[in-house]
Amino acid sequence: MVRGILASLPEIPVQWVDRFGEDRKSETSKTLEVARFRGRFVKACPGTRFYNCCGYQILNFANQCSLGCSYCILQVYFPNSNVRLFANFDDLLQQLDDHLRTSRRKVHRIGTGEFTDSLLLDHLTRASELLVPFFAKQPSAVLELKTKTSQVDLLEKLDHRGRTIVAWSLNPPEVIDREEGTASSLEERLAAARRCQDWGYRLAFHFDPLLAYPRWKGGYAEVVDRLFSVVDPGVVAWISLGSLRFMPPLKAIIKQDHRGSTILDEEFVPGLDGKLRYFRDLRVEMYSRLKDLLLKVAPDLCIYLCMESNDVWREALGFIPAERGGLSAILDQKVLELLD
Amino acid sequence: MFETESRSIQLDQIDWNDTSCLITYGPLPHKLLLSIQTVGLIAPPLLQGKKNGLFRIVCGSRRLAACKKIGLDLSPCQVLPSFLEHQTCLRLAIYDNVAQRTLNPVEKSLVLAKMAKYLEEPQLVDEFMPVLDLEPSVTLFDRYLGLHDLEEMILDSLATGRLNERIGFVLAKQEKEDRLAYLRLFEELPFSVSVQEELVETVEDISRRENLTPQQVLSSKEVTTLRQAHESPARQRAQKIRKYLRDRCNPRLTARRERFAQETRQLGLPSGVRLVPPPYFEGPKWILECTFERAEELASRLRHMVLLADQPKLQTIMESASGVSSREVGN
Ligand code: SF4
Repeated sequence: MVRGILASLPEIPVQWVDRFGEDRKSETSKTLEVARFRGRFVKACPGTRFYNCCGYQILNFANQCSLGCSYCILQVYFPNSNVRLFANFDDLLQQLDDHLRTSRRKVHRIGTGEFTDSLLLDHLTRASELLVPFFAKQPSAVLELKTKTSQVDLLEKLDHRGRTIVAWSLNPPEVIDREEGTASSLEERLAAARRCQDWGYRLAFHFDPLLAYPRWKGGYAEVVDRLFSVVDPGVVAWISLGSLRFMPPLKAIIKQDHRGSTILDEEFVPGLDGKLRYFRDLRVEMYSRLKDLLLKVAPDLCIYLCMESNDVWREALGFIPAERGGLSAILDQKVLELLD
Repeated sequence: MFETESRSIQLDQIDWNDTSCLITYGPLPHKLLLSIQTVGLIAPPLLQGKKNGLFRIVCGSRRLAACKKIGLDLSPCQVLPSFLEHQTCLRLAIYDNVAQRTLNPVEKSLVLAKMAKYLEEPQLVDEFMPVLDLEPSVTLFDRYLGLHDLEEMILDSLATGRLNERIGFVLAKQEKEDRLAYLRLFEELPFSVSVQEELVETVEDISRRENLTPQQVLSSKEVTTLRQAHESPARQRAQKIRKYLRDRCNPRLTARRERFAQETRQLGLPSGVRLVPPPYFEGPKWILECTFERAEELASRLRHMVLLADQPKLQTIMESASGVSSREVGN
């Protein structure tokens, strides 16, 4: 993989180091750090006991992201702004294989978009060429590639056998312009989703973070309209809704590094997990409205809330996950239907 | 060490405008005046001769100022050779001071700002932060350096301990008019340091949302009325201002609290029973508190509550203003 990256970037200076300095945040991240990762590539998603967790598993092949979303929590997690890629994919695939063979879970939903954007570096790493065929051979596991880019070219020719779900996080264009750095526009994301649909992939969409800005009602209604004018709801595996939430230290970073951002203009309260969130009534209103918009177009959509408590689920969606076996089981069931 | 010369120096031979080695900041201690008046100057100040024939104060600026104040015109001094580099003199001043006392935040910031002319940041952080009893951290270094340019009023408050340096760091990031407005409020009313920090953040949030400056928020009619309500004790006025600003900053939460209070009154809870929502109405756990003196009293209150629990009114209290959603999701 490293040879491939170097070959595709012949003009870029390369420095070999024994270890990376934990430098202060640079103005713009211009260095790609490539390292061998010696830890566990596969981890459970760090949900909290206070909110319903989706039971997702994380496949972590890179830390940090250079797209520059104002609300990105990675700014707090990783003080170094360089993207660090873990290039020992042989170890990654071996660990993944061991994990899938030995785990007692019936179904695995594994995603690479927790600590970076899944497709940000795909044109350099060609990681999808390793991961998608690997998952194609798994009887009960799906890979979810979550992205805000439109870099899907490499996915076209891959034999995915329905076991890779390509997912986009969506927001209204004015939010994307103001808050999502150099991420692709809504139209570019939807065009990329359409290409994936045409190549037979299942899709997922994450309205996460939902942002309460003055025109949010109209803004999200337009996104839903645009989405289903491009994408067939029948190929959508699931749609998640999650309102903006962040660790308190992110507030100072947003103020300092994202001066054009307006996300701090709303009112926030500390949640049960210590993160700041919109006041629950507003969250309920946003979820209910989005749910109504989505179900109007496609009544059978699988919609779930990300990191919300039962009272919010009940009020916004009309049920709590435990009544249907738990959120993890609901999504596992959806995977089994997809794999049928 | 350097050879120094013992001399008696006329106070008018001192270049009082040359503050290049001055790292003391704050009022003259009364006891110093008393000591010099009573027993004279025990430790002679350290000076350096200048090309213009005057003397620069290296150590002992307060002692000399005290001598001047009590009307002396001559002082015994030690004089450093004039060829000695300025950086060396500055170091002498710093180490002499830190050996004798703890510097106040303004003085710490002066030390770092003056030495920054000679040393790179990493060296400054490594050598001088520990000398000043500070963590050798770049962030903290930047914060102290930020104090240096603050207005005299704020520096005076910091030097005398009326304002904590944590608040100084926060104010250093504000516009001049705004920080002076904060200072006036904090000097006027008794807020703890953490409440002061909270207030700055709250006012900043309000200003951003309402497109006002913090100074405009702090001088709004409501805040001014509360500040001037001199019939209430200062502590109470401080609490009311804090509550007012919090409520203004959290209109949804405030409205929900008001609705909760009103609906709970209408629910007609039995006496001795209290309904407590989850903090910030976040999460599913509500608390019912019941105080009682006798078993029959408990039984009667619980019976009453069982009746109330079946009423839709209680459910309404627990739900958001938008109400239960109409359609279920087809998962
Ligand atoms: S795309 Fe995701 S990972 Fe990248 S900056 Fe935005 S929020 Fe962070």
